[in-house]
Amino acid sequence: MISSQAAARRLDQLDYFDLLREAKKSAEMTPNKIIRLAILADFSTQSLAPILKALCARHGVGLEIYEAAFDSIDIEVIDPTSELYKFKPHYVAIIMTTQQLRGKIYAAGSRKDFAESATRHLVELWSRIAERSSAQLVQATFVLPAERAFGNYEVKVPHSVGAIIADLNHGIIDAARQAGNVLICDTDFIAAEAGRQKWFDDRLWILSKALCSFDAMPRFGRSLTDIILAADGRAVKCVALDLDGTLWGGTIGDDGLESIRLGELDDGEAFVEFQHFLLELKRRGIILAVVSKNERHHALLPFQKHPDMVLKEEDIAVFIANWENKADNIKTVRRILNIGFDSIVFLDDNPFERGLVRELLPDVIVPELPDDPSLFLSTLADLALFETTSYSQADENRVAQYRQEAARHELSNEFSDIDSYLVSLDMTMKVERFSEFNLPRIVQLMQRSNQFNLTTRRYSESACTKLMCDPDYYTLTMSLKDKFGDSGLISIIILKMSDAVVIDEFLMSCRVLKRGVEAFAMNAIFELARQRGSHSVVGSYLPTPKNGMVRDFYPGFGFARVEETLHGETTWRMDVEAYSPLPHHINSWPLGEISNDPS
Amino acid sequence: MIPREIRPRLNAVFQSVFDDSSIEIEDATTASDIAQWDSLTHINLILAIERSFAVRFTTREVRALKTVGDLIVLIQHKTP
Repeated sequence: MISSQAAARRLDQLDYFDLLREAKKSAEMTPNKIIRLAILADFSTQSLAPILKALCARHGVGLEIYEAAFDSIDIEVIDPTSELYKFKPHYVAIIMTTQQLRGKIYAAGSRKDFAESATRHLVELWSRIAERSSAQLVQATFVLPAERAFGNYEVKVPHSVGAIIADLNHGIIDAARQAGNVLICDTDFIAAEAGRQKWFDDRLWILSKALCSFDAMPRFGRSLTDIILAADGRAVKCVALDLDGTLWGGTIGDDGLESIRLGELDDGEAFVEFQHFLLELKRRGIILAVVSKNERHHALLPFQKHPDMVLKEEDIAVFIANWENKADNIKTVRRILNIGFDSIVFLDDNPFERGLVRELLPDVIVPELPDDPSLFLSTLADLALFETTSYSQADENRVAQYRQEAARHELSNEFSDIDSYLVSLDMTMKVERFSEFNLPRIVQLMQRSNQFNLTTRRYSESACTKLMCDPDYYTLTMSLKDKFGDSGLISIIILKMSDAVVIDEFLMSCRVLKRGVEAFAMNAIFELARQRGSHSVVGSYLPTPKNGMVRDFYPGFGFARVEETLHGETTWRMDVEAYSPLPHHINSWPLGEISNDPS
Repeated sequence: MIPREIRPRLNAVFQSVFDDSSIEIEDATTASDIAQWDSLTHINLILAIERSFAVRFTTREVRALKTVGDLIVLIQHKTP
């Protein structure tokens, strides 16, 4: 048994043979979630499949894999009746080898335009799959070959094998940027990490057509499962940071502003580099929090006054400096941010604090940090903790939103009466249909929200696009702003229009809990149902380990239960006639059919 | 190494790879004697043996292996 989340990611804990044994044992466990992955490959996937299963099992996920027959990618994709589509995969991974590609390059009459036409062929496969399946696509890049006929000159010759494969990789990445619904598994990067020479195992290729050496396979497996788990909403969302010894050398309370090691002093440059990387994480949407044993005014001093400090006070969403134990403080961070413990990474140079947090909060990811701060970055790189499957401009504003949330908390203390507080917020809601413009944020919110999520359906971008065009579906987003700022797109509702209005998905960001958004949204749904002449509204609750907070969502509005399955899925119904609009304090920003909000 | 030293260690590798502590190999044992011994497990077995004995077989040697006896002879030649 591996003692901690972080240790479980260490490559010395990821041995091919150990994982094979783990995969056998994991077949007996009861997963709390099933994910179906189809692998389309031109190598033999037999040795990769158990590695992926074992790695997913470590997260309580049961991975069902469809292994397409050896080198049958085109047939599987083009034939609409193929096993690929019958399997109804959630994810389709297309993984191709340098060995097979190289063979095609050798055999080609002309190498001119080889990379371009190979890219076009892949893009064609992607669109075929998107037409016939709502699965999320994952395309692997090719590994640049270890041998170079031209030496360093290889890259200068457009028709050299190395140059063609590099061009193809660029083509794939460009196309994936355009396509939006295709994620990249950067095999070439993973192979470079392992060492190209150690990635390729020519004997193993000849004997068994395996993707790569068995030593490198767990590293590839970890990367591919990370993408899938991240797309499923299991990614790191917050880094909780210690200060003394972690963001700078020395102790601010004892040494003072001039003597902490940061910048040119001693090993201070290492801390500067480390902070730069943390700032990059913040820019891409990871929330930074501080959990420090310090007097607050001491802890803040470098952020406010030190010239070499890269991180500023406004980069930190939650700043906790006190003498309480760090596990309790991390609990506070978690409460303010409304995220799971398993999406928090805690970085602290002090082994005692790391041990304490691991012991008390086993789900928090607590990497071992080396004594030398110049090794912090490579230690984090080795653990590959930060996977994501989307990025939008809203990510950069997230810290501002959490800081606004902290300000709202302070204001709410002034009001004994919650209603007058909500009125004072001067909230405005914008209701819109799904559009190309808000699609990235929609997909991202679907992946991220775990708690206030009634059915946790996690539609991919291409699936959302389909829903947008489907006349049977009515897709809605809600964006909220108040006097403190813009919370952005905070709720997604997907309605299926049949005799009744069926709520296919209803999710909301936990940042806006208890502000009347639910009442506003339900009023809007019933108003829509009334306008359409539907007699009732039907909704379901699909329980997951994380969405317990909405178990009683429908009965709370007066819905009656019509069905309950063995797995605890419940279905609820309420007549349009029986519903009376609920009071709230949100002004609507009217749009389209749901213009007349009843309140 | 002599066959008497090789055999118990080799047996341990077999038990580990096939995850079956009841396996007792003999010189004449072949893939058809062990139910799970398919082409993938064969490769896993070869790599596990190489790791355990710190030896490396050539592609041809792996292809030519038929019985446990062949394996023991090969290991004997490759170890000091």
